[in-house]
Amino acid sequence: MSGSKSVEVADVLIIGGGTSGGVAAKHLAESGLKVVCLEQGHWVNQDDLPGTRPEYELLGSKKWHPNPNIRANPEDYPCECSDADLPVLMYAAVGGTSLLYGGVWSRLAPSDFRVRTLDGIADDWPLTYEELVPYFEETEREVGVSGLAGNPAYPAGYDPPLSAHPIHKAGRKAAEGMNRLGWHWWPIYQAIPTREYGNQAQCVRYGVCMLGCPEGSKGSTDLTHWPIALRHGARVVTGARVSRITLNERGLASGAVYIDREGREHVQPALVVILAANGVGTPRLLLLSASNRFPDGLANSSGLVGKRLMLHPVTKVVGQYDEAVDEWVGPAGGDIESMQFYETDTSRGFVRGSKWLLQGSVGPLEALSLWTSGEGRQEEIWGEAFTRKMKSSIGHQMEWVIQPEDLPEESNTVTLDAGLKDSDGVPAPKIAYRYSDNTRRILDFGIARAREAHEAAGARKTWVVGLDVESGHGGMGQAHLLGTARMGNDRESSVVDRHGRAHDVPNLYIIDGSVFVTSSAINPTGTICALAKRTAAYICEQARLQKVPS
Amino acid sequence: MNDPAVPLALNSEQRVRLAALADVLIPSGAGLPSASEANVHGKWVDRVLAVRPDLAEPLVVALSEGGEPREALERWRSDAPAAFEAFAFIVSSAYFINPRVRRLLGYPGQGPKPNPVLPDEADYYLEGGILDVVRERGPSYRPTPEA
Repeated sequence: MSGSKSVEVADVLIIGGGTSGGVAAKHLAESGLKVVCLEQGHWVNQDDLPGTRPEYELLGSKKWHPNPNIRANPEDYPCECSDADLPVLMYAAVGGTSLLYGGVWSRLAPSDFRVRTLDGIADDWPLTYEELVPYFEETEREVGVSGLAGNPAYPAGYDPPLSAHPIHKAGRKAAEGMNRLGWHWWPIYQAIPTREYGNQAQCVRYGVCMLGCPEGSKGSTDLTHWPIALRHGARVVTGARVSRITLNERGLASGAVYIDREGREHVQPALVVILAANGVGTPRLLLLSASNRFPDGLANSSGLVGKRLMLHPVTKVVGQYDEAVDEWVGPAGGDIESMQFYETDTSRGFVRGSKWLLQGSVGPLEALSLWTSGEGRQEEIWGEAFTRKMKSSIGHQMEWVIQPEDLPEESNTVTLDAGLKDSDGVPAPKIAYRYSDNTRRILDFGIARAREAHEAAGARKTWVVGLDVESGHGGMGQAHLLGTARMGNDRESSVVDRHGRAHDVPNLYIIDGSVFVTSSAINPTGTICALAKRTAAYICEQARLQKVPS
Repeated sequence: MNDPAVPLALNSEQRVRLAALADVLIPSGAGLPSASEANVHGKWVDRVLAVRPDLAEPLVVALSEGGEPREALERWRSDAPAAFEAFAFIVSSAYFINPRVRRLLGYPGQGPKPNPVLPDEADYYLEGGILDVVRERGPSYRPTPEA
């Protein structure tokens, strides 16, 4: 192992250079703290992104796939998912999964923070929507959110810094259907600027957002945050796979051990350690950091590290239309959204609800995939049907994505797999995840309503892709990795406090989706980043009082 | 097996077999060419293997199996669905990257489009007050309850 004596002690060590790590690094470095980040992936060159090549869908099916088990790049760790209804998605690089996300950037709603009080289930968060508003606003400015003010699904004052994107033909058609039913819809909020904005170019609607933005427009933190953090002295060590967090004799975090791409171990000492490794990587590292003092895993006196995994198991209802909808026009995250069925209405037979996003299937391979999965398989696609079906599909299909709130269940977990290891021999995470009855009811209801929405908009045919409605299993993978180190005021029933600080280790913080108390049904990145910003601000405010290793 | 880092070069016999099998999956129709008419078995499968060399192995295995093409495909589909799906993915991928096929499908590809194309384009799609009814229904969120 390389000695730590010659390595400068960081004021703050961030483990994970992805989305939340970038937000915190920028804030901390701008505040004058010495920030070091250990990132298992590397910088991605914009010119290497596949979206401008005719083979982009093929490249997205392997090298740029969001599932690390399919991508299997050297910097990825495998995830054992044989006991999970759907795979987990993530991307290892500076910028992390924000490189491959759709850029949908919304706030959790006020009721999401008071689930126990309002609906008598799950738990309340230890903070409110109103407390997070300043951090929502700051991070929305940092990533260049485009959107329209005045959405009645939110309190007044939700006013994105940039004007909304056009909703295009597809959004217009879907919106007309929603209006016929009297249902809510709104132009989608996206971290994709409608004009040149800071380091971000103006969006030119390639529509390949989920393969990385070839224009440098989408708000990924390698573009929006890390360059600023570096200018303020932050240092990113890439190809650095952290194997455990180290402790001093007083039980404070003292840094981390990492393995470089030549297989050498190093120690990075630090006064404060932040985990920003996502809802799978963070509990994995806490469990890997078990010691005599913390035999069940670091910061795990509650026993909740790795439990309560929530994934937003989305399902799509496809609609096919006679008129052209040109679904390939970007941004790809969607044209409009709906929160008609977001808030609890117990007459529906479940609590909580779903958010909907209207998306297009973009390229021909993706359009074909809608016929080779889910209910699409009920009809023959190969042979005589192929050319006719593809001709009627391309340019004529759009999907309502039903994103259900996934309530926390202690049986849905991230643990360490007994056999599977990453390329450095570090135990891989094992995912156990099953749909709950409530989630199934939300999805079944949403599927039925989305069929109605398509029909009201004039669809000639609808079908379901994602959840296997007969078996109740299967589904599309999701990168919304939430809940595995929840925040709370009570140290016996939560892992971190309301500022993201571990109850058990006063100089260890968590800033990724692990800290979510409940999942909401909202795309979580905007809230993850607001929380990361808030934790970073707290660390700066408390710097003089912070307990640190001597 | 072939080194996956080196793109596979199919021989002429394999290409003939590929054309025959691919035409069962994608015969001509609806104004679109068949797989072989689109040269799936020529430069386009080479393009597929150039970016997905890991697909060479299932392709070579598929092409090495004999039998009447339609019967062979039906047998794979029932007995080895993963092999069938891999083969069908290769064939359809090669078909869809042919620019002639894309043009005939009406798919323009993912290219840059000025944003906005027209001044006030965002407003154009909201014309006729289609958002007014949403606004007029009033707030739908549940506010934070008093502590």
